[in-house]
Amino acid sequence: MTVEKLNRQRVVHLLDAFARGDIETALSCCTDDVDFLTHAPIDVLPHMVPRHGKAELRELWQTIWSRYSEVRYKAPHILAEGEAVATYMHTYFRKRSNDRIVQFDMAVFYTFRGGLVAEIREIIDSYDLVQQVLEREIGPLITGTRAD
Amino acid sequence: MTEHSLWRFSRALHRAINDRHFEDIEALIDEDVEWALYGPIDMFPFLGARQGKDAVLDVIRQLADNFQVRRFDRESIMLGVDTAASMLRYSLTALDSNKPISLRVAQFAQFRAGKLTSMRVLIDTFDLVEQALGRAIHLPKMTSVG
Repeated sequence: MTVEKLNRQRVVHLLDAFARGDIETALSCCTDDVDFLTHAPIDVLPHMVPRHGKAELRELWQTIWSRYSEVRYKAPHILAEGEAVATYMHTYFRKRSNDRIVQFDMAVFYTFRGGLVAEIREIIDSYDLVQQVLEREIGPLITGTRAD
Repeated sequence: MTEHSLWRFSRALHRAINDRHFEDIEALIDEDVEWALYGPIDMFPFLGARQGKDAVLDVIRQLADNFQVRRFDRESIMLGVDTAASMLRYSLTALDSNKPISLRVAQFAQFRAGKLTSMRVLIDTFDLVEQALGRAIHLPKMTSVG
Protein backbone atom coordinates (compact mmCIF):
# COMPACT_ATOMS: atom_id res chain seq x y z
CA MET A 1 0.00 0.00 0.00
CA THR A 2 1.31 3.48 -0.84
CA VAL A 3 1.98 6.03 1.87
CA GLU A 4 -0.81 8.15 0.38
CA LYS A 5 -3.38 5.37 0.77
CA LEU A 6 -2.19 4.67 4.30
CA ASN A 7 -2.38 8.31 5.31
CA ARG A 8 -5.82 8.64 3.77
CA GLN A 9 -6.99 5.64 5.83
CA ARG A 10 -5.44 7.15 8.94
CA VAL A 11 -7.35 10.40 8.46
CA VAL A 12 -10.64 8.53 7.99
CA HIS A 13 -9.83 6.48 11.13
CA LEU A 14 -9.22 9.71 13.10
CA LEU A 15 -12.42 11.34 11.79
CA ASP A 16 -14.54 8.25 12.50
CA ALA A 17 -13.15 8.03 16.04
CA PHE A 18 -13.90 11.71 16.69
CA ALA A 19 -17.39 11.42 15.18
CA ARG A 20 -18.30 8.61 17.58
CA GLY A 21 -16.89 10.57 20.53
CA ASP A 22 -13.85 8.35 21.00
CA ILE A 23 -11.46 11.20 21.68
CA GLU A 24 -8.63 9.02 22.98
CA THR A 25 -8.56 6.93 19.80
CA ALA A 26 -8.60 10.12 17.72
CA LEU A 27 -5.72 11.50 19.81
CA SER A 28 -3.77 8.25 19.36
CA CYS A 29 -3.61 9.11 15.64
CA CYS A 30 -1.64 12.28 16.50
CA THR A 31 1.93 13.03 17.53
CA ASP A 32 2.54 14.22 21.11
CA ASP A 33 3.34 17.70 19.79
CA VAL A 34 0.43 17.88 17.33
CA ASP A 35 -0.21 21.44 16.19
CA PHE A 36 -3.80 22.56 15.54
CA LEU A 37 -4.87 25.82 13.94
CA THR A 38 -8.30 26.84 12.74
CA HIS A 39 -9.28 30.15 11.22
CA ALA A 40 -12.32 31.32 13.16
CA PRO A 41 -13.17 34.40 15.25
CA ILE A 42 -11.72 33.48 18.63
CA ASP A 43 -13.30 36.48 20.32
CA VAL A 44 -16.65 34.83 19.54
CA LEU A 45 -15.56 31.19 19.76
CA PRO A 46 -12.82 31.36 22.42
CA HIS A 47 -12.24 27.60 22.52
CA MET A 48 -11.07 27.68 18.88
CA VAL A 49 -7.67 29.15 19.72
CA PRO A 50 -4.54 27.43 18.37
CA ARG A 51 -3.74 24.18 20.22
CA HIS A 52 -0.34 22.63 20.69
CA GLY A 53 0.10 19.09 21.99
CA LYS A 54 -2.31 16.30 22.80
CA ALA A 55 -3.48 17.75 26.11
CA GLU A 56 -4.61 21.00 24.53
CA LEU A 57 -6.23 19.19 21.60
CA ARG A 58 -8.02 16.86 24.04
CA GLU A 59 -9.36 19.93 25.86
CA LEU A 60 -10.70 21.39 22.58
CA TRP A 61 -12.34 18.14 21.49
CA GLN A 62 -13.85 17.62 24.96
CA THR A 63 -15.26 21.17 24.82
CA ILE A 64 -16.86 20.42 21.45
CA TRP A 65 -18.36 17.17 22.73
CA SER A 66 -19.64 18.94 25.87
CA ARG A 67 -21.68 21.23 23.60
CA TYR A 68 -22.76 18.83 20.87
CA SER A 69 -24.41 15.44 21.31
CA GLU A 70 -23.90 14.13 17.77
CA VAL A 71 -21.20 14.69 15.17
CA ARG A 72 -21.48 13.47 11.59
CA TYR A 73 -19.43 14.13 8.53
CA LYS A 74 -19.22 13.32 4.84
CA ALA A 75 -15.93 13.77 3.01
CA PRO A 76 -16.62 14.01 -0.73
CA HIS A 77 -13.02 15.01 -1.45
CA ILE A 78 -9.94 13.48 0.15
CA LEU A 79 -6.60 14.09 -1.54
CA ALA A 80 -3.32 12.63 -0.36
CA GLU A 81 0.18 13.35 -1.55
CA GLY A 82 3.32 12.33 0.31
CA GLU A 83 2.89 13.14 3.99
CA ALA A 84 -0.08 15.46 3.45
CA VAL A 85 -3.82 14.83 3.23
CA ALA A 86 -6.54 17.37 2.42
CA THR A 87 -10.21 16.74 3.16
CA TYR A 88 -13.27 18.68 2.09
CA MET A 89 -16.08 17.84 4.49
CA HIS A 90 -19.76 18.47 5.08
CA THR A 91 -20.14 18.41 8.86
CA TYR A 92 -23.18 18.25 11.14
CA PHE A 93 -23.12 18.98 14.89
CA ARG A 94 -26.25 18.58 17.04
CA LYS A 95 -26.43 21.08 19.90
CA ARG A 96 -27.03 19.61 23.34
CA SER A 97 -28.84 22.79 24.40
CA ASN A 98 -31.74 22.58 21.94
CA ASP A 99 -31.06 19.69 19.50
CA ARG A 100 -30.57 22.09 16.59
CA ILE A 101 -28.08 21.07 13.91
CA VAL A 102 -25.12 23.27 13.05
CA GLN A 103 -24.17 22.34 9.50
CA PHE A 104 -21.16 23.71 7.67
CA ASP A 105 -18.44 22.76 5.21
CA MET A 106 -14.83 22.71 6.24
CA ALA A 107 -11.45 22.11 4.64
CA VAL A 108 -8.90 20.32 6.78
CA PHE A 109 -5.25 19.84 5.84
CA TYR A 110 -3.26 17.21 7.74
CA THR A 111 0.50 16.77 7.79
CA PHE A 112 1.92 13.41 8.91
CA ARG A 113 5.15 12.54 10.69
CA GLY A 114 6.05 8.91 11.37
CA GLY A 115 2.54 7.73 10.50
CA LEU A 116 0.89 10.18 12.94
CA VAL A 117 -0.85 13.49 12.39
CA ALA A 118 1.56 16.26 13.36
CA GLU A 119 -0.30 19.28 12.02
CA ILE A 120 -3.98 20.13 11.47
CA ARG A 121 -5.07 23.26 9.62
CA GLU A 122 -8.74 24.10 9.13
CA ILE A 123 -10.60 26.64 7.03
CA ILE A 124 -14.32 27.17 7.62
CA ASP A 125 -16.94 29.52 6.20
CA SER A 126 -16.68 31.18 9.61
CA TYR A 127 -19.30 33.89 9.04
CA ASP A 128 -21.94 31.23 8.42
CA LEU A 129 -20.66 29.14 11.34
CA VAL A 130 -20.98 32.05 13.78
CA GLN A 131 -24.52 32.78 12.57
CA GLN A 132 -25.53 29.18 13.13
CA VAL A 133 -23.91 29.00 16.55
CA LEU A 134 -25.54 32.28 17.61
CA GLU A 135 -28.79 31.33 15.84
CA ARG A 136 -29.09 34.86 14.48
CA GLU A 137 -28.15 36.88 11.41
CA ILE A 138 -25.02 38.96 11.77
CA GLY A 139 -26.00 41.42 9.02
CA PRO A 140 -28.25 43.58 11.22
CA LEU A 141 -25.53 43.69 13.86
CA ILE A 142 -23.11 45.10 11.30
CA THR A 143 -25.44 47.83 10.17
CA GLY A 144 -27.09 48.41 13.54
CA THR A 145 -26.20 48.29 17.18
CA ARG A 146 -23.85 46.09 19.16
CA ALA A 147 -25.05 42.67 20.21
CA ASP A 148 -24.12 42.75 23.87
CA MET B 1 6.26 15.50 -17.88
CA THR B 2 3.00 17.33 -18.52
CA GLU B 3 2.20 20.37 -16.43
CA HIS B 4 -0.68 19.84 -13.99
CA SER B 5 -3.91 21.57 -15.03
CA LEU B 6 -3.93 23.52 -11.76
CA TRP B 7 -0.87 25.55 -12.72
CA ARG B 8 -2.31 26.60 -16.09
CA PHE B 9 -5.64 27.43 -14.46
CA SER B 10 -4.01 29.40 -11.65
CA ARG B 11 -1.93 31.51 -14.05
CA ALA B 12 -4.94 32.20 -16.26
CA LEU B 13 -7.14 33.09 -13.26
CA HIS B 14 -4.67 35.62 -11.93
CA ARG B 15 -4.17 37.09 -15.39
CA ALA B 16 -7.95 37.44 -15.71
CA ILE B 17 -8.30 39.17 -12.34
CA ASN B 18 -5.28 41.44 -12.57
CA ASP B 19 -5.06 42.19 -16.30
CA ARG B 20 -8.68 41.59 -17.33
CA HIS B 21 -7.40 39.10 -19.88
CA PHE B 22 -10.20 36.50 -19.99
CA GLU B 23 -9.36 34.49 -23.13
CA ASP B 24 -6.97 32.07 -21.42
CA ILE B 25 -9.27 31.27 -18.50
CA GLU B 26 -12.25 30.86 -20.81
CA ALA B 27 -10.44 28.06 -22.64
CA LEU B 28 -9.74 26.23 -19.35
CA ILE B 29 -13.30 26.03 -17.99
CA ASP B 30 -15.61 23.13 -18.86
CA GLU B 31 -19.08 24.06 -20.16
CA ASP B 32 -20.74 22.20 -17.26
CA VAL B 33 -18.43 23.39 -14.50
CA GLU B 34 -19.71 23.42 -10.91
CA TRP B 35 -18.37 26.28 -8.87
CA ALA B 36 -18.87 27.39 -5.27
CA LEU B 37 -17.20 30.14 -3.25
CA TYR B 38 -18.87 29.90 0.14
CA GLY B 39 -19.64 33.12 1.97
CA PRO B 40 -22.20 35.87 2.63
CA ILE B 41 -23.67 36.53 -0.82
CA ASP B 42 -25.67 39.54 0.43
CA MET B 43 -22.39 41.35 1.09
CA PHE B 44 -20.37 39.83 -1.74
CA PRO B 45 -22.61 38.99 -4.73
CA PHE B 46 -19.80 37.12 -6.50
CA LEU B 47 -19.81 34.48 -3.74
CA GLY B 48 -22.15 31.49 -3.82
CA ALA B 49 -22.72 28.55 -6.12
CA ARG B 50 -22.70 28.73 -9.91
CA GLN B 51 -23.28 26.19 -12.66
CA GLY B 52 -21.89 26.47 -16.17
CA LYS B 53 -19.05 28.28 -17.87
CA ASP B 54 -20.85 31.56 -18.55
CA ALA B 55 -21.90 31.96 -14.91
CA VAL B 56 -18.36 31.22 -13.71
CA LEU B 57 -16.83 33.68 -16.18
CA ASP B 58 -19.24 36.28 -14.89
CA VAL B 59 -17.98 35.65 -11.34
CA ILE B 60 -14.37 35.98 -12.49
CA ARG B 61 -15.23 39.29 -14.18
CA GLN B 62 -16.82 40.49 -10.94
CA LEU B 63 -13.69 39.47 -9.03
CA ALA B 64 -11.62 41.48 -11.53
CA ASP B 65 -13.97 44.45 -11.03
CA ASN B 66 -13.48 44.35 -7.27
CA PHE B 67 -9.97 43.08 -6.50
CA GLN B 68 -6.36 43.11 -7.53
CA VAL B 69 -4.18 40.17 -6.47
CA ARG B 70 -1.00 41.60 -4.96
CA ARG B 71 0.49 38.33 -3.83
CA PHE B 72 -0.45 34.74 -3.08
CA ASP B 73 1.42 31.96 -1.31
CA ARG B 74 0.49 28.30 -1.38
CA GLU B 75 0.98 27.05 2.15
CA SER B 76 -0.07 23.50 1.32
CA ILE B 77 -0.78 21.70 -1.93
CA MET B 78 -1.79 18.21 -2.99
CA LEU B 79 -2.03 17.17 -6.60
CA GLY B 80 -3.90 14.13 -7.90
CA VAL B 81 -4.13 13.08 -11.52
CA ASP B 82 -7.07 15.40 -12.27
CA THR B 83 -7.58 16.92 -8.85
CA ALA B 84 -5.88 19.48 -6.65
CA ALA B 85 -6.29 20.81 -3.13
CA SER B 86 -4.43 23.79 -1.79
CA MET B 87 -4.39 26.18 1.11
CA LEU B 88 -3.38 29.66 0.09
CA ARG B 89 -2.81 33.05 1.62
CA TYR B 90 -3.95 35.86 -0.67
CA SER B 91 -3.03 39.51 -0.37
CA LEU B 92 -5.59 41.53 -2.30
CA THR B 93 -6.45 45.16 -2.83
CA ALA B 94 -10.14 46.11 -2.81
CA LEU B 95 -10.39 48.40 -5.83
CA ASP B 96 -13.25 50.57 -4.56
CA SER B 97 -11.48 51.56 -1.33
CA ASN B 98 -7.86 50.72 -2.12
CA LYS B 99 -7.84 48.74 1.16
CA PRO B 100 -5.52 45.77 1.54
CA ILE B 101 -7.28 42.48 2.29
CA SER B 102 -5.49 39.35 3.47
CA LEU B 103 -7.29 36.03 3.12
CA ARG B 104 -6.72 32.38 3.89
CA VAL B 105 -8.38 30.21 1.28
CA ALA B 106 -8.85 26.46 0.78
CA GLN B 107 -9.37 25.41 -2.82
CA PHE B 108 -10.49 22.00 -4.13
CA ALA B 109 -10.42 21.66 -7.92
CA GLN B 110 -11.26 18.89 -10.38
CA PHE B 111 -10.29 18.84 -14.03
CA ARG B 112 -11.21 16.78 -17.08
CA ALA B 113 -9.13 16.91 -20.24
CA GLY B 114 -7.33 19.95 -18.85
CA LYS B 115 -10.54 21.89 -18.14
CA LEU B 116 -11.97 22.83 -14.79
CA THR B 117 -15.09 20.79 -13.97
CA SER B 118 -15.47 21.57 -10.27
CA MET B 119 -14.17 24.21 -7.89
CA ARG B 120 -15.02 24.53 -4.21
CA VAL B 121 -13.47 27.33 -2.22
CA LEU B 122 -13.69 27.94 1.51
CA ILE B 123 -12.65 31.26 3.01
CA ASP B 124 -12.35 32.47 6.59
CA THR B 125 -15.35 34.67 5.81
CA PHE B 126 -15.79 36.29 9.22
CA ASP B 127 -12.29 37.71 8.85
CA LEU B 128 -13.08 38.78 5.26
CA VAL B 129 -16.18 40.68 6.38
CA GLU B 130 -14.31 42.42 9.20
CA GLN B 131 -11.56 43.49 6.81
CA ALA B 132 -14.07 44.73 4.25
CA LEU B 133 -15.86 46.72 6.97
CA GLY B 134 -12.57 48.00 8.35
CA ARG B 135 -13.64 47.21 11.92
CA ALA B 136 -14.36 44.35 14.27
CA ILE B 137 -17.86 42.88 14.51
CA HIS B 138 -18.87 42.89 18.17
CA LEU B 139 -20.69 39.75 19.19
CA PRO B 140 -21.23 37.98 22.50
CA LYS B 141 -18.67 35.35 23.49
CA MET B 142 -19.87 31.81 23.12
CA THR B 143 -18.65 30.42 26.42
CA SER B 144 -21.15 27.62 26.78
CA VAL B 145 -23.09 26.94 23.61
CA GLY B 146 -20.74 27.35 20.66
